[in-house]
Amino acid sequence: MNRNNFWIHLALAISLIAVAAIVGQLSRFDFENKPENSKNKACAMTRSRQEREPEVLVKFRSNVPLAEILKITAKQNDRIEDEIESVPGLTSVDDLDGRPPEQVAEEYRKLGEMVEYAEPNFQIALDPETSDQNPPILAGEDKKDNLPDDPLFGVQWALRNIGQNNGKEKADLDALKAWEKTKGSSDVVVAVLDTGVDYAHQDLATNIWTRPDSLAAYKDNELGTIADEHGFNAVDNARDPMDENGHGTHCAGIIGAEGDNKEGIAGINWKVQIMPLKFLGRGGYGTTKDAIEAINYAIERKKAGVNIRVISASWGSTAYSRALEDVIRKAGEEGILFVAAAGNASTDNDKTPHYPSSYKLPNVISVAALDRFDNLASFSNYGVKSVHVAAPGKEIMSTWLKGDYREASGTSMATPYVSGVAALALSVEPNLSVEKLREKILKSVDKLDGLNGKLETGGRINAAKAVSK
Amino acid sequence: MTQSKEQAIRRAKADLSKRLGIAENQISEASIENTDFPDMSLGAPAEDEMSAQMISAGWKIRLNAEGKSYEYRADADQLRLFQFEGANHLI
Repeated sequence: MNRNNFWIHLALAISLIAVAAIVGQLSRFDFENKPENSKNKACAMTRSRQEREPEVLVKFRSNVPLAEILKITAKQNDRIEDEIESVPGLTSVDDLDGRPPEQVAEEYRKLGEMVEYAEPNFQIALDPETSDQNPPILAGEDKKDNLPDDPLFGVQWALRNIGQNNGKEKADLDALKAWEKTKGSSDVVVAVLDTGVDYAHQDLATNIWTRPDSLAAYKDNELGTIADEHGFNAVDNARDPMDENGHGTHCAGIIGAEGDNKEGIAGINWKVQIMPLKFLGRGGYGTTKDAIEAINYAIERKKAGVNIRVISASWGSTAYSRALEDVIRKAGEEGILFVAAAGNASTDNDKTPHYPSSYKLPNVISVAALDRFDNLASFSNYGVKSVHVAAPGKEIMSTWLKGDYREASGTSMATPYVSGVAALALSVEPNLSVEKLREKILKSVDKLDGLNGKLETGGRINAAKAVSK
Repeated sequence: MTQSKEQAIRRAKADLSKRLGIAENQISEASIENTDFPDMSLGAPAEDEMSAQMISAGWKIRLNAEGKSYEYRADADQLRLFQFEGANHLI
């Protein structure tokens, strides 16, 4: 290297170090000032495989402040490389001593009061490239053709649990076996009654309901004519149900993200029609009146010939509404199953009901949430008389706004799995009455000891059983 | 509306000041913590309000004034006063 080149390289090196320092500070500023799960941030899943990967992923407990996290990592002679915004408290950590990742993870695990879990980076597949290779076939799984090529399928433990992130093998919906029989049908319409849906999402667009030319625009006595194209927006009494929050898009992906399209995730239905019904606003909350208005739209569309068979309702409160109960009953009379979240208060719905899941109606299924170990999620409500089934609802990967994907937890996430399994069953038996459909779902559970005395069926839904006649 | 933690704290103090009829400098911050709420109404639904049942990250803001403690809950999109005179309030 000649003298001139040396100075040029030195200047470049200093510039790069300065840029890296600024970026690092920005990242830390971001960590400190925003809720960890800020709804408008993209999931950090785009690291190139060629870049150096951090060794360990550490999930700090939500009550551990940033200052303490920095102190802990400094003490270990480690460095926080990044925060994973989609999972509150999850950070990727670089070890500066060159120790094996498992050893570093073990040291963090010992800090149990402050650390929920820690694992070597290679065990988590947030990077689409790293999850591109689906895990191998397990004993008892006989058809490799049913493995979708969606790059994030490997992290969808709810569909196929092979012990990812130390989860329990086969603590899942048995989706591969169900897909031997059916992958869904675009004849079945599932209404997602929520914050709307990002109907332009690349993993959803194909499976979004569109009003056919043969069907007239929606007419309401008070609202007039609404030229609905992809559903209904009860927040603004308007035609556009575009999601501004992300929650409804997440639920929609669980039900019916296009499968085997080399993109993102697979829904429990590879093919289905999702009808977005928006009544929760940007903040994720809304009024009973708007919920009623949206359900009324679904009923009217059903009467007009749209094959809406399921409404998925990942929301609720403890406030009882006779009017809401009545309109859900009416939906049942039109042949629409109403699947509702049991709630996230860790409480017994038999004692403190949570609506709409606690309405004792013949078309309502109330859903609790499970973790990847087949345990009732710590946040999930339960109730041996009022909560019917459980489904995966913790650390669930699905679609998000603006083409993104992220993990989320709640009975909100368990509910669309049940809605999706109902749609899958209808793809095989399209003429099932709503009563028979509900009965089929409730009978298609795998009984779990931990749910005995907690839920009416004491079990987790099983998609393979639900699609068998 | 999108707000930072600091903005949420400022809004909470302004709201409490108005409700109690006192100056903001008579209100002190007891604690501010990052926390996970059970739903998208931050576990503080207002009357006749339904909310998405997804675990949601936000901030719990405890303020002291006139010998009493008041709890606000916030995230990037909203601010709520928890159980004030027997009810939750969306600010």
